[in-house]
Amino acid sequence: MADVQPQQKQEEPLDLIRYQLDETVLVKLRGAREMKGKLQGYDSHCNMVLSDATEYIYAENQDKPQGKSTDMVFIRGDSVILISPVAE
Amino acid sequence: MSEVSSNSSIKTDPSTFLSGIIGSKVSVKLNNGVSYVGNLQSIDGFMNIVMDTTAEFIGGAASGTKYGDVFIRGNNVLYISKV
Repeated sequence: MADVQPQQKQEEPLDLIRYQLDETVLVKLRGAREMKGKLQGYDSHCNMVLSDATEYIYAENQDKPQGKSTDMVFIRGDSVILISPVAE
Repeated sequence: MSEVSSNSSIKTDPSTFLSGIIGSKVSVKLNNGVSYVGNLQSIDGFMNIVMDTTAEFIGGAASGTKYGDVFIRGNNVLYISKV
């Protein structure tokens, strides 16, 4: 009875990340860091696993940080600020 | 008295406000001072937010960074306002 909803259920933000699985994403982290990589998985805490990842650390005296590459990386959710797909 | 609020346009509770601004252009300010302006697609009880056509503003000035789609983790959110 209550299972059938008259209008389409509003998708929550965490449902929308699912469309980015297997796509390259840019994750902005606390401490002026960014991580770019292919999204393998995530959970409700925004813990996530990226493959072929590159970490960028921004320092005040240099404008273009060089990336540090990792095959596979786990990111703890509490340091995540934002997640965005990147064109590539 | 039966009706607490006779004028609902004045007394809007937070969740009514948030569901009412879905689809409109909003500004989201984060604790670190950066704000994002874009179309609000979705929001949940943690204040996790998804926006599209988003522009980043640092200290009130556009940083030049644009995101097609962006997910913001709720714990970083300071406020959300309709623009």
